[in-house]
Amino acid sequence: MTAEPILIVKDLTIDLLTAHTAVRPVDSISYQLRRGETLAIVGESGSGKTVTCFAPLGLMPVGVKADVSGSVLFEGTELVGANEETLRSLRGKSIGFIFQDPMSALNPARRIGHQIAEVAELHLGITPRAAEARALDLIKMVGMSDPNARLKQYPHELSGGLRQRVMIAISIAAEPKLLVADEPTTALDVTVQAQILRLLKEIQARMDMAMVLITHDMGVVAGAADRVLVMYAGRQAEVGPTEKVLVAPRHPYTMGLIDAIPRRDDAIGSRFRGLSGLPPILGAPIKGCAFTPRCRHSVEGCGAQRPPLRTTADPAVMAACPVLNA
Amino acid sequence: MLVFIAKRARNAVLLLFLASVLCFTLVVSAPGNVAILIAELRTPTATKEDIAKVEEELGLNKPLLERYGFWLQGALKGNLGISYKTGEDVGAALRSRLSVTATLVAGGAVVAFVLSLLVGFIGALWAHRMPDYIMRGIALLGASTPSFFVGALLVYAFSVNWHLLPTFGFSGPASWVLPWLTLGFLPAAVLSRVVRVGFEDAMAKPYVLTARSKGLSQTRILFRDALPNIAPTYLNALGTQIGTMVVGAVVVEPLFAWQGLGDLFLAGVRFRDFMVVQACLLVFITFFVILNVVVDIGITLTDPRLRRQRS
Ligand SMILES: Nc1ncnc2c1ncn2[C@@H]1O[C@H](COP(=O)(O)OP(=O)(O)OP(=O)(O)O)[C@@H](O)[C@H]1O
Ligand SMILES: [Mg+2]
Repeated sequence: MTAEPILIVKDLTIDLLTAHTAVRPVDSISYQLRRGETLAIVGESGSGKTVTCFAPLGLMPVGVKADVSGSVLFEGTELVGANEETLRSLRGKSIGFIFQDPMSALNPARRIGHQIAEVAELHLGITPRAAEARALDLIKMVGMSDPNARLKQYPHELSGGLRQRVMIAISIAAEPKLLVADEPTTALDVTVQAQILRLLKEIQARMDMAMVLITHDMGVVAGAADRVLVMYAGRQAEVGPTEKVLVAPRHPYTMGLIDAIPRRDDAIGSRFRGLSGLPPILGAPIKGCAFTPRCRHSVEGCGAQRPPLRTTADPAVMAACPVLNA
Repeated sequence: MLVFIAKRARNAVLLLFLASVLCFTLVVSAPGNVAILIAELRTPTATKEDIAKVEEELGLNKPLLERYGFWLQGALKGNLGISYKTGEDVGAALRSRLSVTATLVAGGAVVAFVLSLLVGFIGALWAHRMPDYIMRGIALLGASTPSFFVGALLVYAFSVNWHLLPTFGFSGPASWVLPWLTLGFLPAAVLSRVVRVGFEDAMAKPYVLTARSKGLSQTRILFRDALPNIAPTYLNALGTQIGTMVVGAVVVEPLFAWQGLGDLFLAGVRFRDFMVVQACLLVFITFFVILNVVVDIGITLTDPRLRRQRS
């Protein structure tokens, strides 16, 4: 993990323009990722995790225009401002994607074998027959039983967990260097969640991939990530090595998230210790620290000026809270 | 799948039987007495006896059930009876007319199929750009122009003005072109919108985002990912449009002085020629029933969820 980072994100800011609205769901995000490393991006629903990862690669739904600024360097290629051709040549080949909802991410009218094989055929430059053999290997690799029959099945014949395995097979079919996994386990039931996460880690180790793992589950972060980036309302609250951030959080929002993890010694039926209040509605620019209204540590000046992301007492950890890191 | 097809076929036969009963009842209960018409045709001063004689001859004085049984028996053997008016064999008349109408509708269907896919694809490939708007305009125009007007326009352009194609009648394959275009134009316009709107819907689906994340090109996504998803809807609409083309043929045939089923049917109705009307109705209904079965099978084959359910 001493090599050059393969992904360097600096001051990434994204404005989304739809027919009716303009919002800034991503505001000055910076992070780096090395080969084989896993970065978890954590935050509540709507904090901008998905947009941070997908918009710079041109993967926004139709009808949404993403205005991206800052810099995203992937293996030395600048993605911000790159044309669709450049982005497309990276997608699937160098960067694989797993989507939030496995129930709708697969094409209902096509056999899953084809949906996997076409990636290998396109990016590995192999014949359709070789691609089908590769699809079979991938189906085995993601741990699906009866692989030959699976190739011919349609998505509606599979459970959510199996569909997510297919999605994983698709995303790694061309052996990408980076895998972006958007809440790969959120839509699945608890027993399946652990299996899928383990599978991802296994594959990552085998292929020496870097991974951005989007989640809102601190448990997932603890189990799978080397580093963690905490997002709140499109801004970066804290970033650092997982073991440091989880043990000694330096931003009140991170503290709140960690505190919300259910513990073994919680009495059964005891009240859920979530964060109180709701994240701000994006739209109008927020002047000061976005977390101020929900923060237990807020002081007079918090609402006035936006706190910069600063190195804390631990040089490996950066946080955007001058109150706790004076 | 075979079981599904067999079931559909059985239902179709049942439906046809019911339809034949309905046909017979409708025609028999229609006002007007054909015996009087025929008798007066023979001798303008026909008496009651003359009329009775005609009734006797044509079996019109027999009980209804017997008449139906007699007719059905014949129909199953391909013998559809004798025209009250001309004394011709209805089956023979029908066959020559049928081939005209069938060729017209089949050609129209091909025109509608090819044109609608072409126009729909162009619209989808250049979505929200000039070619899309042009195709949209053409489709709107096509869908709101009656076929007799389209026909007149085509005849004027291709025959009268440019002398490229014959105006009417049968003089070689070229004489088919204008009727086919005339009949297929409106369905093509309607169907092209089905294709275009279908693509628009499909391209906004999450699986298209997945396809894009694989690095596939937009064109490939359109054909490989979106197309299979709109196929069932399209086939359904195509079936409906082919159905309406049978009705459209009644309008288009006289435009080109063709003698098809429409002509035979209308003449039959005018003269209360039960045998002809009945036979025509039966042909129309048979066609619709078969069309339905074929469309159903097509939809089942293109929609994997239905295929699994029904096999
Ligand atoms: N398709 C879209 N159209 C309009 N606005 C959008 C769209 N997608 C995202 N946004 C805006 O961006 C914000 C961040 O969305 P994003 O999907 O990145 O959140 P997230 O952190 O991934 O949340 P979740 O955990 O629910 O997936 C949303 O609150 C919304 O305002
Ligand atoms: Mg998301």
